[in-house]
Amino acid sequence: MERKIMAILAIVSLSLCLIFPIVHFLGKIDAAGYKSGFLLASAAWFIFATLWITSPKNRIKDK
Amino acid sequence: MAGKISTIAARLDQLYEFDREPVSLDKLQSGSKFAGLFAGEHVAATEFVIGAFFVLHGVTARDLVWGLLLGNLLAVLSWTFVCAPIAVRTRLTLYWYLRKIAGPGLTVIYNIANAILYCILAGAMIAVSATAIGLAFNIETPSLSDVFPGSVGWILITIALGAAFTALAILGFEKLSKFAQVCSPWIFIVFIAGALAMLPRLGVQSNFSNFWDVAKSRIWNGIAVPGQDKFGFWHILFFAWFCNLAMHIGLSDLAIFRYAKKWTYGLYTAFGMFPGHMLAWISSGIMVAAVGREMNPGLMAYEAAGLAGVAGLILAGWTTANPTLYRAGLALQVITPNWPRWKVTLAAGTITTVISCFPIVFVKLLNYVAIYGLVLMPIGAVVFAEHWILPKLKIEQYRAEKYQWLINWRALVVWAGTLMICFLLPLHLYFLWLPGYFIALAGYVGLQALKRNET
Repeated sequence: MERKIMAILAIVSLSLCLIFPIVHFLGKIDAAGYKSGFLLASAAWFIFATLWITSPKNRIKDK
Repeated sequence: MAGKISTIAARLDQLYEFDREPVSLDKLQSGSKFAGLFAGEHVAATEFVIGAFFVLHGVTARDLVWGLLLGNLLAVLSWTFVCAPIAVRTRLTLYWYLRKIAGPGLTVIYNIANAILYCILAGAMIAVSATAIGLAFNIETPSLSDVFPGSVGWILITIALGAAFTALAILGFEKLSKFAQVCSPWIFIVFIAGALAMLPRLGVQSNFSNFWDVAKSRIWNGIAVPGQDKFGFWHILFFAWFCNLAMHIGLSDLAIFRYAKKWTYGLYTAFGMFPGHMLAWISSGIMVAAVGREMNPGLMAYEAAGLAGVAGLILAGWTTANPTLYRAGLALQVITPNWPRWKVTLAAGTITTVISCFPIVFVKLLNYVAIYGLVLMPIGAVVFAEHWILPKLKIEQYRAEKYQWLINWRALVVWAGTLMICFLLPLHLYFLWLPGYFIALAGYVGLQALKRNET
């Protein structure tokens, strides 16, 4: 269950990484806003994706 | 001398012992695994440089798009029709298959050549990532004509980064490889995000209506910067085709495709080629045009995606340098008997770090990629000829294995001879490998046909 939540959060974070530059390209946010948003979404991706791939199911599989 | 080579070959055999046997049917992998593997493998730090260089070489937008489409298609077809069929028939790595064909001695020489080439490639990755660190410390990025390091600051940064990459590789290759899986989709997003964010700076409207006009006039405008050759359609097509020459025509990827259920799995390489070697190269072209055509990957990444872009450039360098250092270390282990894993990785890392100090590995990256593929290509031709052509002509196969030859001298002559002929051909470096491949094929078949069998 926890693994599934981490996977969803990771995918949402990665999607946000793509949404911020699109919104900036459309002129809805400035460059500074885009860069800050992209940085935060990136940090979230690394946290959730790492938790996702190191969650119990994968560890058992590795053995 | 022969005794020494035999000893080294025996050590090499021990290192690769775990994959000596052909892959069994229960170990075969699904197509989606191949798609994922290739998608993650072809977005590296060097993509920041390659796409940008196309802009500096004055390619036009039309030539770029068609060249990349067809060149990458040819690369995918090379994996599908040249590499994958041999892999699924033999289920062996290139190392073991080459050993049957060329003998253990030549396999050692091939391995050492590969280790040197790997170290240079990893050095280029470090140099590209160093431009991102250099930005923070206001250290000048090498110019396009630089061969030697231009400042103490550049040397210190490359050494620091090389030492960090090497230390991480020593601490645990396996765990870091897993972390690299987390990085790869995000690094691809960095390219796309960076390009999208830079489009308004180049004057592209939010409805994309003038994108093609901007692409033709402000990005790929057909004007090469001073000191760079003018590139056209054929340069781009050949570059996209040979960028992974050692892997497809050179048959290094037998190691991967021996796990494929069918030879058609070669088509899954399209998942790596078109995002990595088309979209990422186009993206870095947009980024370099938006920073005034200055070849500075660190600046490009920072301007395009801020601190996340800088992190992306460093991680892209590291995630690709890490397995490259590992492979180089593995290849070097043959000449460093009884050394523990950490010591070999340290040696490979030290060589790589020294190489990375020389900006030529990064400012001449396109030429290096061409040379890398060219040097290993004749071995791919020898293996192809032995596998497909010799049985058709009823010429005895696998003589090195059958008669316990240390070196198949015909294969060595073809390898060296092909490279000598290639360097004498009056062609651009990018176009040499194709005639070279047919010369190697014909040369090897011709030499083997002189004595159709040994008995």
